[in-house]
Amino acid sequence: MRERLSFYIKRDSVLHRLNPLTKLTLTMALILIAFLSPWYWTPHFILLAAVLPLSFAGRVFPEFIKTALRLILPAATFLFLMQAIFQPVGETVIFKFYFLDVTRESLMFAFRNATRIFVMVSSFTLFLLTTHPSELMSDLSRRGLPGQFAYVIISTLQILPQIQAKAQTIIAAQRSRGLDTESTFFKRAGAIVPLVGPLVFGSFIEVEERAIAIEARGFTSKNLKTSLQEIADPSFERTVRWVLILLIIISALLNLWPS
Amino acid sequence: MNIEIKDLRYTYPTGLEAISGISLSIKAGEQVAIVGQNGAGKTTLVRHFNGLLQPTAGSVMIGDWETKKQSVAKLASRVGYVFQNPDEQLFSKDVITEITFGPKNLGYSKEKIDSLVGRALAFTELGDRAELNPYDLPPAWRKMVALASIIAMDTPIIIFDEPTTGQDSSNINRIANVIAKLRQEGKTVITITHDIDFCAENFERVIALSKGKVLLDGPARDVLGQEKVLAQTYVDPPQLTRLGKKLGLKETVRNQEEFLKAMK
Repeated sequence: MRERLSFYIKRDSVLHRLNPLTKLTLTMALILIAFLSPWYWTPHFILLAAVLPLSFAGRVFPEFIKTALRLILPAATFLFLMQAIFQPVGETVIFKFYFLDVTRESLMFAFRNATRIFVMVSSFTLFLLTTHPSELMSDLSRRGLPGQFAYVIISTLQILPQIQAKAQTIIAAQRSRGLDTESTFFKRAGAIVPLVGPLVFGSFIEVEERAIAIEARGFTSKNLKTSLQEIADPSFERTVRWVLILLIIISALLNLWPS
Repeated sequence: MNIEIKDLRYTYPTGLEAISGISLSIKAGEQVAIVGQNGAGKTTLVRHFNGLLQPTAGSVMIGDWETKKQSVAKLASRVGYVFQNPDEQLFSKDVITEITFGPKNLGYSKEKIDSLVGRALAFTELGDRAELNPYDLPPAWRKMVALASIIAMDTPIIIFDEPTTGQDSSNINRIANVIAKLRQEGKTVITITHDIDFCAENFERVIALSKGKVLLDGPARDVLGQEKVLAQTYVDPPQLTRLGKKLGLKETVRNQEEFLKAMK
């Protein structure tokens, strides 16, 4: 089932079962290594040998490829064209277009950067598809992320669909009172106040009620909180995370190495 | 103005079929209560009456208008709809402006609007609160403002969606009075309710819905007497009705008056 406003798809897979922090580290590692590694083919290799197989491991390949392509194809294509045309490097001219030279080197350069962007967006997509936002937040706040920060993220994801539903009801209620929301521009512009008014008043009231409700459950209490939801974090995963961080550092060092 | 519903079906975009074939006819001036469990299709059904929802199949006629062919804004001149939560419609700086909004949208003359607003204020006992901001009123009175704002539109048909939910007994009496006054004027009143006592005391006809179909439809006395059938849609007959049954009274009683009469 797909939840509104979050990419998460509930399924049972190796990737879903991983600790959220491990998945986050893995995502960051894939992206940073793709950007930092000095070898030309690293981003392409990461895309084909890591991100794609992982999407199969997470059993979300169809959704993954659809979301990733929709998000990134236009931007990557644009970036590729711009860099291929305007990058003033290289001698091997492949073709000329008025004053623009497209060289073999600029094509290579553009291709790598487009792939890097692709790795970045697609691995984040994969992360979001397989990680429930509230699971991520409760794991991170267990590790010391301030509760306020987690609340802002989670409440946004929860409140927006509610506001959407409320707006629908308000529109229905005002149309039932003869409010014209369909005809001329001026009539529709005049319809703003009756629609926005109740939405804003109502949201203020709700924010206050929410604040009271979470405070009633000890939100600002300084004591250590327990969680109903146990998130597994086996020692094996901790090792994996350290290895990933090590790989990032190695890539960064290799990148800095004077060649 | 009569309401004619023919073979109505409605399926939500999610694929849920909320109305699976309902045919009904409601005559001008009838007072109808619609009861049934949550998800039985009550709100979905009445939202067809003013065009907020369009039938997936079948048709709804309001007088000589087919709802499919009219806009909601136009149908608003024939069908008034009071939503459950007043906070989802109030926006004006004072009660009187709020109540004027509906009749103004319908394009009535200045004099007509003034007299309709006066009538709505009188019906809902809001007269001495007309200048206040609706949000300064307690929720019970905000509910009355919402009622007044629809009553002022002077539609031949008025729909109330759970008017008594969360109201105390004095406000329930006030709402019952409003319904009685509308009955005297010959308006059709259709009310969705879970408040079975309110239903027994104020409505002549009761329609029980279950799973998108009409389970029972008839005079309140007949419908409320059928305890077993009503149980299918999680509706309990009023306490006095059940007590009367246990005492072995011959007739089905709905309220204290009938109960006392039957006991003699």
